[in-house]
Amino acid sequence: MPIEITMPRLSDTMEEGTLLQWHKQLGDVVSSGDVLADIETDKATMELQSFDDGIFSEILVQEGEKVEVGKVVAVLTEEDEAPLESTTPEEPANETKVEIQKPEKTGMAISPVARRLADEYGIDLKTIQGSGPSGRVIKRDILQVVDATKETSAAAATTQPDEIIQRTVSEPEVVATTHPIVASGDWRENRSEPLSNMRQVIAKRLVESKQTIPHYQVTMSFDMDPLLDMRKTLNKQLANSGVKLSVNDFLVRCCALAMAEHPAFNASFGGDCIYFHGPVNVGIAIALPEDKGGGLVVGTIRDADQKSLRSISQESVRLGKKARDKGLSLEEMSDTTFTISNLGMFGVEHFTAIINPPNSAILAVGAAIEKPVVRGGELVVGNELSATLSLDHRVIDGAMAARYLKTLKELIENPAALLV
Amino acid sequence: MSERIIEYRDALCEAMSEEMRDDKKVFLLGEEVAQYNGAYKISKGMLDEFGPRRVIDTPISESGFSGMAIGAAMRGLRPIVEFMSWSFSLVAADPILNNAAKMLYMSGGQFGCPIVFRGNDGAGGQLGSTHSWCVESLYANVPGLKMAIPYDAYDAKGMLKTAIRDDNPVFFLESERLLSTTGHVPVEEYTVPFGQALVRRQGTDCTIISFGRPLHFCQEAAEELAKEGIACEIIDGRTIRPLDIDTMVASVRKTNTCVVVDQSWSFASVGSEIASQIHRYCFDDLDNFVHRVHSDDVPTPYASNLEQAYLPNTRKICEAVRAATYNS
Repeated sequence: MPIEITMPRLSDTMEEGTLLQWHKQLGDVVSSGDVLADIETDKATMELQSFDDGIFSEILVQEGEKVEVGKVVAVLTEEDEAPLESTTPEEPANETKVEIQKPEKTGMAISPVARRLADEYGIDLKTIQGSGPSGRVIKRDILQVVDATKETSAAAATTQPDEIIQRTVSEPEVVATTHPIVASGDWRENRSEPLSNMRQVIAKRLVESKQTIPHYQVTMSFDMDPLLDMRKTLNKQLANSGVKLSVNDFLVRCCALAMAEHPAFNASFGGDCIYFHGPVNVGIAIALPEDKGGGLVVGTIRDADQKSLRSISQESVRLGKKARDKGLSLEEMSDTTFTISNLGMFGVEHFTAIINPPNSAILAVGAAIEKPVVRGGELVVGNELSATLSLDHRVIDGAMAARYLKTLKELIENPAALLV
Repeated sequence: MSERIIEYRDALCEAMSEEMRDDKKVFLLGEEVAQYNGAYKISKGMLDEFGPRRVIDTPISESGFSGMAIGAAMRGLRPIVEFMSWSFSLVAADPILNNAAKMLYMSGGQFGCPIVFRGNDGAGGQLGSTHSWCVESLYANVPGLKMAIPYDAYDAKGMLKTAIRDDNPVFFLESERLLSTTGHVPVEEYTVPFGQALVRRQGTDCTIISFGRPLHFCQEAAEELAKEGIACEIIDGRTIRPLDIDTMVASVRKTNTCVVVDQSWSFASVGSEIASQIHRYCFDDLDNFVHRVHSDDVPTPYASNLEQAYLPNTRKICEAVRAATYNS
């Protein structure tokens, strides 16, 4: 049965409508919901949607024509009743022959979980023939492709290494990884390992810290361009002195200098009082090599506010090396008043750290990352570093944290002051 | 724990008797509950033990004795009202819905209503349309009440004890078809908390969610479907209010398909509510829309063969699971 498409009543007051533009051509496959044309009414231009499936086989109203509501503007036929072979007697003899195109897959049906799995496995849905009702792609179809891909890969890998693997998965450019890629099926056995002394201490102290200190975090980003420029210059000049300043050395100095203005960050909660410490001893978190049992220690840079960048750097290098080689002495690990944990060297953008008691704050430092930034109203490429303070709310309130970060920002973004 | 097999009806009797021994405020009333030992022999021996002041025969006047019990509950007693059939509760709709369920709210917290309404729900077998009501969808729509549907003897006892101890009105839906079923009920004290669904059968291909008697059909269907290689996971929701949607969602996330079997009619039903929630919480996990099996959308037929065909039976469940898993 041919389906007649009529001029719809698109508003209460609409009497007639102008057919502005057809969106389908003769022979197009039409699915329910497809937009057939734009209609101009007395109020607005609106879409004429199809409520049926079929082949767009006859246009009775040309673009620009105005017709009254209810008049037939086009005709759809079902796929198997080609109008050109119609035997209907009233069919005009001079009717244009319509070439029926093979229906293309438009708006394919796919179950939600199948779509999710296809995303996960990187499978191109266009390559899949759905086995559900009306060709809906279902979970089974995706899993079949996944299995087939696995089998082909396995077969190719074992018996025909030269043969090109037929894959439906689109392959990105491959870069060899520096890590071994574990084959699926290589399951590792369950095992347990007794805690090393260090891990026991870490477990105890950090649980205590997280459970007793009301932690909260405040994050700020810093423009690193001036500091990185200065570091480059200084390192060039110091090249023959055996000194290489790290970004972290600058941050140690910035954090230490800021204490003069923000004593609460160099303090400890004392139950019924707050201890404000005189010396500024900045702890730096040092990761130990995994082949030596891993773990983490905090080395102390004493009186960091009194030390130049160069002596901070030397102290930091010495502590790191000693920690990794033979371990730090108690003296070298105690009396911190503030701690910095830096994962920037791993490319980490942002993280939060657990306060190292009895400190009242710890700064978690990410990498200086090249990214689009706005400088003076212009979009440019700049280096940004994001750092997050974890704070003991019993000592430091949010606004205080914000002011401390503001001071840090001034120091970092105007690094010349660090030299004096 | 000792292994002791008793009937569902006796489990109910034990629950009521134990709670009445423990709490002097608990009492039972309803038609035939005392001298006749219960129309379905659920309260057998209770009159002898507790006497006529705590096991009370009422006239055939659901509206009257429900209202009386609600008044008692408001004043601090803990009545158990037995409806011979939930079908008869319809004449007491005003007290049980308008008074019991809303009392705490409408009195601004001054009066609670710790009451249990219990009785047979659903088609008992050729009782005709007016006596074969499934009231769960009708009543679950009302805020302020709890609704529990125990499937086996263990749950019948454990859930009824929880219901009696609950400070809210609990609509406790038993089934005439389950009263003679037997199951393990420990001698030791236990209760079954509300709002915790039970996975009655584990499977990987399709989650079947149901309550009460239709679970029997679900089990049969699962056996049949297992022969076809379709592994069904059957979840007994146990309580409709509160509804343990979490357990249902966790299962559907695993199987990706779901069939809800609900013996009430389909329109605006418990089944449609669960399907709606599954669609919401499992949208990206579904391989097909949630299929539903209900009683047919007609008054319950009297003729035995028609009644069997009308119920959410094994055949309908099998067909729904096959369709949901694209195996039809």
